[in-house]
Amino acid sequence: MIVLGIETSCDETGVGIVRRHADGTLELLADEVASSVEEHARFGGVVPEIASRAHLQAMAPTMRRALDTAGLELSTVDAIAVTAGPGLAGALMVGVAAAKAYSTASGKPLYGVNHLAGHVAADTIEHGPLPPRCLALLVSGGHSQLLLVEGLTEKITEIGATIDDAAGEAYDKVARILGLPYPGGPPIDKLAKQGNPRAIAFPRGLTGQRDAPFDFSFSGLKTAVARWVEKHEATGAEIPLADVAASFQEAVADVLTAKAIRAAREHEVDTMVISGGVAANSRLGELARERCAEAGITLRVPRPRLCTDNGAMIAALGAHVVASGAKPSPATLAADTSLPLVYGS
Amino acid sequence: MEAGVNTAVWTAELAEPEDTTALGRRLGALLGRGDLVLLSGPLGAGKTVLVKGIAEGLGVRGRVSSPTFVISRVHPGERATLVHVDAYRLGGDALELDDLDLDTDLEDAVVVIEWGEGFAERLAEDHLLVRIDRRPDDVREVSLTGLPHILKAL
Repeated sequence: MIVLGIETSCDETGVGIVRRHADGTLELLADEVASSVEEHARFGGVVPEIASRAHLQAMAPTMRRALDTAGLELSTVDAIAVTAGPGLAGALMVGVAAAKAYSTASGKPLYGVNHLAGHVAADTIEHGPLPPRCLALLVSGGHSQLLLVEGLTEKITEIGATIDDAAGEAYDKVARILGLPYPGGPPIDKLAKQGNPRAIAFPRGLTGQRDAPFDFSFSGLKTAVARWVEKHEATGAEIPLADVAASFQEAVADVLTAKAIRAAREHEVDTMVISGGVAANSRLGELARERCAEAGITLRVPRPRLCTDNGAMIAALGAHVVASGAKPSPATLAADTSLPLVYGS
Repeated sequence: MEAGVNTAVWTAELAEPEDTTALGRRLGALLGRGDLVLLSGPLGAGKTVLVKGIAEGLGVRGRVSSPTFVISRVHPGERATLVHVDAYRLGGDALELDDLDLDTDLEDAVVVIEWGEGFAERLAEDHLLVRIDRRPDDVREVSLTGLPHILKAL
């Protein structure tokens, strides 16, 4: 079975194609992404209308490249999947409208799926089917969540989420405080390698005894970094940028992994998936490997290219949804910024 | 919380994050359909914390968290819908509220815009501007201007 996936929930226009074999394994046939980040840089920031227009312009060429790479025509795929939510409303609408048009034109069934479940499904492209139960830590610019996954197409429960800023957002904002470029993840990661992660004891949000054990908070950490930098500037001392970056990164990676491990233990699962753009962070990966090994938990992290937004993960989730026997979405499918995690629920 | 008031400006010092939430709650109880609130202040001033309070005061649904990445979140409620916008990532001087692609009737909503000072004023003739500053001792100095009926009732 061959499924084509379309993703336009934020800045990336993605079209991916996978083949699902009878044993549940996936074969990646195409993974094409066009980004509007440069477009936004020209305007000095994101303009939702421009994001929507960029998706509109990139849609057909990206689709063409994906089909060419896979050596297929739309008539030879079995189904079309599209991100129906969550995301920027206008951006989602472009993908959903395009998918409906391609579906109508080709007569192929259409499946509107959840972006976050797609991030988890990305791992099945590289590492095969998930075990019956596992924990997923989703960390990106827009999301920080702990999900208990009991079947990608059956039951996904959010057991924790950020109560303020997403982890990737904290990176972007701390990068701005330190005078580093956007997006903040890669430059902070690089700078942190030359710094001492124990130089400054930045706060670990929501780790008190009475705090929600699986929710995250990165707003206080961001404020603590801003305050620390301001205090140092006031004394005229040079800011030890590498130490600030390393100590900040340590606080983020420490909280994310500690809560994920605790959630895995409490819910008695022995597999953890980490996905989303921040999954590419070197310290998060290192600490997760270390702590999962100690706890006897199998860690699965897709390669960085599959961690960021792409169409392949939507094709992957779509393929699992089709294989589950679920009915296609109706022709009235619309973008839904609060779409449930599990298809059809 | 120590508050001071004259006809045009309402000011207060907020020592704890809970004080910021409490002020938001009082504001939320006073705001109504069609009101526009602009929040300004540096990173970590407590803008999102204030919006959490406003949401509680308005009695709207859904968890309030930073909308920086998604630009805007819509929280439905009985009395009014809360539209929580974050202009941090937005660019372009010619930006209009229509460009946000909000799927909501703004006349029926309370619109709160973080980082909105400077571009969002033209969205409505009357608006409440909330400035929050973080002092070195971590106390927040807050000043409110605009919408006199709200300032009077605070």
